[in-house]
Amino acid sequence: METANGSAAPAQNGQQGDESGFKLKFCTVCASNQNRSMEGHLRLAQASYPVISFGTGSLVRLPGPTVTQPNVYKFNQTSYDSIYRELEAKDPQLYRANGLLNMLGRNRVIKWGPERWQDWQVGMPRVKHEKDQGSVGMESGVPDVVITCEERCWDAVVDDLLNRGAPLNRPVHVINIDIKDNHKDASVGGGAIVDLADSLNKAAMEERDKVGPAAFDAGGAASRASFDERVPEILGEWQERWPDLPSTWTLSWF
Amino acid sequence: MAADSTNTTTGSSPDGNPLALAEQLEQLNAARKVVLQDSTYYDRIVKGVLPIIGPRALLPLRRWGAEFLAESLATPVLTMREKENITVAVLDTLRGLLDGAAEDAIVLKASVAAAASAYPVALRWIINNSYHKESWEQMSAIKSRILQIWDGAPAPVRLSCVKFAQRVVLAQTASNGMEQKTNGLDISLNMIPANHPLLDPRQLEAEATGLLDRMLSVLQDNSSDALLVNATLNCLSILIRTRPNTTNRILNAVLNFNPLKLANSPMTSKTRVLVKSLEKTTRMLLTHLLRRDPNNPMAGRIHQYIERMMRLRAEMFDEASRKRALVDQAAGDAKRQKMEGAPQFTVPPLGPGPHSLAGVFTLTNNPGLQAFDATQLPANLAAKISVKTLMTLDQQTLDLAVAGIRDRLTSIYAAGAAAAAAAQPAVINAATAPLGVDEDDDDDYEPDLTPAEDTEQILNKLDNAPPEEPTEPAADAAALALGSFNLPPPPTLDPEAAAKLSQAAASRVFGPLSVLKESGALRKPRAGINRLAASSYDRDSWLTFITRLATRSAAGLEDVGGGGGGIKTEDAGVAPDHNNHNRGPPGMLSLGDTIRELLYTYILEDWRRRIEIAVAWLCEEWYNDQLTKRASTSLGAESGALHYERWTLRLVDGFLSYITAQDKVLTRFLAEIPELSRAVLGRLKVLCEDPTTVQLALTTLLYLVMMRPPVREIALDTVAEIWTEFEDARPLAAKYLVKWRPGFIESQTRGGPGSDVAPGNGMAIAT
Repeated sequence: METANGSAAPAQNGQQGDESGFKLKFCTVCASNQNRSMEGHLRLAQASYPVISFGTGSLVRLPGPTVTQPNVYKFNQTSYDSIYRELEAKDPQLYRANGLLNMLGRNRVIKWGPERWQDWQVGMPRVKHEKDQGSVGMESGVPDVVITCEERCWDAVVDDLLNRGAPLNRPVHVINIDIKDNHKDASVGGGAIVDLADSLNKAAMEERDKVGPAAFDAGGAASRASFDERVPEILGEWQERWPDLPSTWTLSWF
Repeated sequence: MAADSTNTTTGSSPDGNPLALAEQLEQLNAARKVVLQDSTYYDRIVKGVLPIIGPRALLPLRRWGAEFLAESLATPVLTMREKENITVAVLDTLRGLLDGAAEDAIVLKASVAAAASAYPVALRWIINNSYHKESWEQMSAIKSRILQIWDGAPAPVRLSCVKFAQRVVLAQTASNGMEQKTNGLDISLNMIPANHPLLDPRQLEAEATGLLDRMLSVLQDNSSDALLVNATLNCLSILIRTRPNTTNRILNAVLNFNPLKLANSPMTSKTRVLVKSLEKTTRMLLTHLLRRDPNNPMAGRIHQYIERMMRLRAEMFDEASRKRALVDQAAGDAKRQKMEGAPQFTVPPLGPGPHSLAGVFTLTNNPGLQAFDATQLPANLAAKISVKTLMTLDQQTLDLAVAGIRDRLTSIYAAGAAAAAAAQPAVINAATAPLGVDEDDDDDYEPDLTPAEDTEQILNKLDNAPPEEPTEPAADAAALALGSFNLPPPPTLDPEAAAKLSQAAASRVFGPLSVLKESGALRKPRAGINRLAASSYDRDSWLTFITRLATRSAAGLEDVGGGGGGIKTEDAGVAPDHNNHNRGPPGMLSLGDTIRELLYTYILEDWRRRIEIAVAWLCEEWYNDQLTKRASTSLGAESGALHYERWTLRLVDGFLSYITAQDKVLTRFLAEIPELSRAVLGRLKVLCEDPTTVQLALTTLLYLVMMRPPVREIALDTVAEIWTEFEDARPLAAKYLVKWRPGFIESQTRGGPGSDVAPGNGMAIAT
């Protein structure tokens, strides 16, 4: 672990090269790919994890002047910047006061625009996303862990994966963390996501550091347990640290 | 080789030539970036790296190689043709990696995954190139090796083995053609000719059946190895949906599986994760199947299973929450606090500065208790507590307390004038509060999901009007003055202020909703038609009260001259009054309309769950409209203002901006409200602009056609209009029209607008 930590440090500063230390690849998901998933995206990228993010809603919905007049945008076709400029033109005072402009301002430096989970072609190389934060190490476009921020989104992701029929034969851990959809809870949730990511990555690194004949091995079960096996246990321990963020897990397939 | 691998770790190899290794990995990564950027290099680079990553290479190279092969064989960027080339080329290396006697788990996991992607491609290649015997022999050897290591392998490798088996089953059973044609998912038994020289379809199918049984054995054993069970459940969907011969076998296994078995063991944090995971994953698979194929012959059994699971789960959770409630009660040591508070009793004088009304009457020194907001207590509970306390309180303590408060009030009165001056700015602050209204909005940037915030938002909006809870110090000093103090005359009410006040009053009607309990399951058995609405003090009855307050009472209250108690007299007063306010200045809503407006917002905050309230409300509106109509005809007067249609339309418009394809609740809503018009049904056309909701709109209409004969004609007219106006919705609309309005489509396509149900017809009536 010592050497692994030491070698991971330069990558954090230089934002380059995933070879210096093993990094799990993450994907964060919420309804509109605006608040919670983007907070998670940013925080994971800052912790130098490869990360992408999506929304599972049919449209991007942001609050408008009243409950019944939301601002609605299309996924994949609207940039954070254009939403920012539109809302700023509509009512700068309102959208500054409710934090939307602040959020969009943050989002537009993370990536181009909100992306829809259901429209994402898993495994399509993401080589044209170099400017996105967290793009380093994500070139293959296939994450190891998907973290959703709401039960409905977890349901949508798991259902969509069943629908796709698992063409890539690649396992993926899908974890939900229930985060309330407001700026404050998203920020707390972002910290919790990074905490989970660190715990998972530590286990994955330990698995990689173990070398040699793994098959037919009769060694101590706990120490030999693989990363995949340890995920529920790690999540259970994480849940005790974050009792206010109920979680769900499954292993699914891309 | 074994010696090499044991001494080598990723990135830092003490033995051999670490620099060369690191350099080699760097080059390999550069090569990988090249293929990711331009897929035309795949063929050359995959074949180029094979000698470097073979079974004799160092462990880091083998790991890299196996993972690269898995990634390359799975990539969606290559066509089937290109994949065939690569697959045939890598089989030898893949076999070598899998055959290693004591191979590393990561290498094995990735190699088996690569083999899973290779299998259907290799099979397709052999189907078309039966002369190429060696490839099939290689693939068969790989298959038997994988099936051999499956049982004893470490967990990650077993996961891959399950998936490999799934791909073999998929490729070797007959397809119904419903799968996507990507990544070899469509390769099936159908493609293998009966007389193929290498492949015997019957033998392959038998092998698939055997493998499927082996996959399902984790479910049959009721295994609690959540990793393996989840991995299995999550790859079964495509088999069930597209390989009809496997459907029954798989569904039987799933329906006999008990995901809650683990729940009986002691609950550690890990088992909690596992139980929830198994239960949810099973339920997700089954609901997914129901949604995709509601007409499945097993649908009934699936429904039963899901319901049973929900019940069991609810029981588990119920037990847990009941226990928690008891613990909480035990934790609050109410008794000890009483003991401490009683003996020596003094009323501390208030310090300088403004005090709230609550502050003046607060006697406790405990900061925790001081912060407690007593207004949160339901009124009946507060009353009970007060009575009990007064009964047990001894006279001396009471006298002391009264004297103490009197002293406080005297001192405040002395400082009254100064406080009054200081109070002015505070009043202005409250009035300019609207910014605060919007601030709450940010907590709720997706309003349909977090309704709780909206309640606050509305309450805040209404807080502008009268300060009810943050009592201004000035008012305090004045109102609490002793001696010969006269209350200043209240400011004269202008209509605007009156409207604001009545809005505030209306908003308070909604206050109890957040506190009142949902009517529990215990009270469900109702006394049928004899039951009295609003007789139990729960949320349901309060809502009944609100809807009737909105629909029946307001008019009578406003029309002072009208007076009277019975519904009929009230209704007589409706007509002039409502006509009046409808033409009155904007923002001057009647009390009834204010409540309606709030009710509307309340429903939309969480409309999926509050649809019943909407229906109940509209029933009341409709009833009231009928009474209004009857009253006006009997009086011979001009018809009074009718509300039903207007609010139905507003509610429907409200829902539609949030609706998704899954919201069947819309069907229910339209089925249950008392009256439907062309205008209401016309709103459904909006849904047809979005291809995902076309089906929802049309099934809703179909339901109305089938189940509500009185509106059948206008529902069919709407379907016809959809057919005419929305190209995308035509196939589905046509299906229903053919059944329910035979001849319509022919007349449209042949005769044009001359037919009797011309689309313009309906519109004219609607407006």
